[in-house]
Amino acid sequence: MSLFGTASSFGTGGTGVFGTTTTDSHNPMKDVEVTSPPDDSISCLAFSPPTMPGNFLIAGSWANDVRCWEVQDNGQTVPKAQQMHTGPVLDVCWSDDGSKVFTASCDKTAKMWDLNSNQAMQIAQHDGPIKAIHWIKAPNYSCVMTGSWDKTLKFWDTRSPTPMMSLQMPERCYCADVVYPMAVVATAERGLIVYQLENQPSEFRRIDSPLKHQHRCVAIFKDKQNKPTGFALGSIEGRVAIHYINPPNPAKDNFTFKCHRSNGTNTTTPQDIYAVNAIAFHPVHGTLATVGSDGRFSFWDKDARTKLKTSEQLDQPITACCFNHNGNIFAYASSYDWSKGHEYYNPQKKNYIFLRNAAEELKPRNKK
Amino acid sequence: MVVCNFFLQGRCRYGERCWNEHPRGGGRGGGGGGGQQHSRGEGGFGNRVWVNPSQQKGGSYIQPSYFPSQGRNSWGGGGGGGGSGDGGGRRDNVKSSDFSFSTQNRFASLDASKSFADRGGRGGTAAEDDDSKKLEMIQMDMDVWESSGQWGFSCYSIAKLPLSGFPDLSPEELRLEYYSKSASGDLQTYMNGVNQLLSQWKSRIQELKSMNPNTRAALLAELNGAGPQGSSGGFGGPPEFGSVTSGFGSKDFGSPAPAQTGSFGFPEKRPEFGFTSAPVFGAPFGSSTPQTPSGFGAPAQPSASTFSFASSSTNKPAGSSGFGSASGFSFSSAGSSTGGFGNAGAAAAPAFPQTSGGFGATPGSEAQSGSLFSSESQLTPEELDQFKAKRFTLGQIPLKPPPENLLVLR
Repeated sequence: MSLFGTASSFGTGGTGVFGTTTTDSHNPMKDVEVTSPPDDSISCLAFSPPTMPGNFLIAGSWANDVRCWEVQDNGQTVPKAQQMHTGPVLDVCWSDDGSKVFTASCDKTAKMWDLNSNQAMQIAQHDGPIKAIHWIKAPNYSCVMTGSWDKTLKFWDTRSPTPMMSLQMPERCYCADVVYPMAVVATAERGLIVYQLENQPSEFRRIDSPLKHQHRCVAIFKDKQNKPTGFALGSIEGRVAIHYINPPNPAKDNFTFKCHRSNGTNTTTPQDIYAVNAIAFHPVHGTLATVGSDGRFSFWDKDARTKLKTSEQLDQPITACCFNHNGNIFAYASSYDWSKGHEYYNPQKKNYIFLRNAAEELKPRNKK
Repeated sequence: MVVCNFFLQGRCRYGERCWNEHPRGGGRGGGGGGGQQHSRGEGGFGNRVWVNPSQQKGGSYIQPSYFPSQGRNSWGGGGGGGGSGDGGGRRDNVKSSDFSFSTQNRFASLDASKSFADRGGRGGTAAEDDDSKKLEMIQMDMDVWESSGQWGFSCYSIAKLPLSGFPDLSPEELRLEYYSKSASGDLQTYMNGVNQLLSQWKSRIQELKSMNPNTRAALLAELNGAGPQGSSGGFGGPPEFGSVTSGFGSKDFGSPAPAQTGSFGFPEKRPEFGFTSAPVFGAPFGSSTPQTPSGFGAPAQPSASTFSFASSSTNKPAGSSGFGSASGFSFSSAGSSTGGFGNAGAAAAPAFPQTSGGFGATPGSEAQSGSLFSSESQLTPEELDQFKAKRFTLGQIPLKPPPENLLVLR
C-alpha cells in the first residue's frame, strides 16, 4: 500500500521489469546519461559558473557523497572527484570564480571543497540539517548563506568558525535561492521571506504565500535588465506560483499554474497530484523548467504563460535539475524522492543523471 | 438583458463579469471585489489556447478560449480576463490539452464572486456566504487531497494562516528520520511514528470533509477570529496559537487540550503544548485528532501502509498515548538534544524534547501522576479562569490539565 492514496507503481520497476527491454522507461527521453551516478538519491545538482572554462557538474546525494564530473562538449561525462560528508548532502553550490564548491548536509555542517587541491574543510555549523546553501557575492562582501531546519539563516565568512550574521526564521528552511541583491527563502508552514543583500543581508519582506500547501522549491528570475525581479515557488501540490516583488499590477501579474498532474483533460477520475521537486530558470531565455515526482520535466514560458514542452514519464521521480551557465545543457536527476514513503524506496534501484540539449526547446514562445 | 447562452450551458467564462444575464433568480450585482491576498491563480497554464474537444461540438459558437465548467467555475471570469487579451491568438495548439488543467480552481471562492460555487443556503449576509464558500472549498480541497495521492504531511491553508491540524513535514525530514533510525537499528520506531502521522492526517481530513457542526464552528473561528490569538504579522509563534485554539475540531478547548497538557506536563516556555508547527513529529498530531481525547489512542490503526512508527510501549492514559508514540519516534534516540528532526536540539521549541522525555523515556515528569485532568483544587484561580473562558489568553495558558467537569464534550 502506498503512503498517500493509491499511487501509480513507482519504484517497483514500472510495467515490464524483466523481459521487456524494448521500452526502457528509465530514460524515455533518450538523453545522455552521466557515468558513475551516485548510489542513492540525488538531492541537488549544480553546474559550474561561466568564470570557469568548460562545464563541471556537481551532484549531492543521500549516499553522503558529493561528486564532480566534467561534461565535455561531445556529451561525454568524466567523473573527476568526490567528497564525503557524514550525513546525506542536501544542497550544493559553486563560488563565483568556480574554484570552490560548497556542500550542505544533514550532518549539520557545510563544507567548502577546493577543487584544485581536492580538500574539503568545514565552514559552517548549525543545530540542525542544513537544507540550502548559496554563495553571495556582493561588491563589499562575499559569504556563504546557509538555511537550516533549525530555523536560522546564517551567513559565513569561510575563514571564521562563527557566522557573520544569523537571522532567525519563523520556521525550518525548506528551500532558498539567491540572485544578488535578492534572496528568497521558503520555509515550513508556508513561510516566505525575501531578503535584500545589499550592504548586509536583512529581511526585506515577508510574503503571504500564494500557495496552499507545503513549499518545496523556489527559484528567482530576472527581468530584461538582468535584475532579479521575482521568483517561482513550487509546492507539493503540483502547482507553481510566479510572484513578482514589485509588480505594477499584482493581481494580474502574479499567477499560479498547475503542473505535474495526471489526467489532463479527464475530469471524471481524480487527478494524481505530484510535488514539484525543483525549478530552474534558463539563464539566457528566462524560461523555466520544473521537475516533479511524477517523473516528468516540463518547460514553461512564464511571460507567455504557456507550456513549452513536457517530457515522457520516467520510471522514477525527478529530484533535481539545473541549467549550465549558458543554457545549453539541462541536467536532471532521476531518483526516488520519498514522496510515497519508505515502501517505495529501493536501495538497489539505479539512480540517473541525464543531460539534455536545452538550447532549442527553451526558447520563449513568441507572443503574437 | 440578453440571457447568456454559455451560462445556461454552464460554461460562461466571464462569470460575474459577463455582460449578459445569468438567470439565477435575481442577478447579483457586480462581484464582490477581489480583495483576497492570494494571487489569483490562472487555472491552467496557457488556458487560452486550450479548447476542450468534447465540449466544442455542443456549442453553437465558441467563446474564445473557454474551458469546460462544471457549472460552478466562477474562475471563468478570471480566465477570460486573462485570455481575452490574445484570444484571437494561438488556438491550434491541441497538444496543450495534455497538460492538466483542472476546472476546479481552488482559488475560485476566494474571488468572492458569488456565482456558481455558491449552492443553496444563500440566505444571509455576504459574510456568511463567504464563510460557507470557504468551508466548501476546504471540503473540496480535502477531497482532492485525499484522492490525489499527493504528499499528505503538508500544511494547508486558504487564508493567511495555515489551518490547524496539518503539520508541515517535508519528505526529506521523513527520509532523514528513516535513515537515522535504520542506522541505529530502530526501524520500528520510524514505522510507528509514520503510521501515527498518517492516521492523524487521515482523521483530520475526514473531519474536515464531513464538516460536522463542531468542526465548522472551530474552523470559522479560526478563519475569522484567529486574529486576537494568533494574529498574523508573521509566522513563528502566532500560527501555533492558531492551532491551539481551534485545532481540536471542537469549540471547547477543554477537551483535547487538557489531554495534551496532561501528557506533556510542562511544555515550558511557550504554552504551545508542543503544537508548534515545529518539526517535532508528535506535536501537531495531537491537535489533529478529533474531539475526544480517546481519539489519541484510537488512530493506532495502521490502516493502509505498514508505516508504523514509535514504540507504543507507552500505554499511558489514552490521551497521551498518541504523543507517546509520536515523541517516541522522534526522540527515542537520546532524548533531547539530537532530535531526529534536528529541531529538538535547537534552543527553540524544547517543548517536545522534554515532554517526550516525559513520555517515552522518563517517568515522573508525566504530568500530575499521569492523570488526564486535574481537580479544581489543584488549579490556581487564574488557571481556572482560563479554562472557563472561551479562549485561552496568550501567555496565560495553564500548564496543568483542566478539571474534568469543565469539559464539554459533544
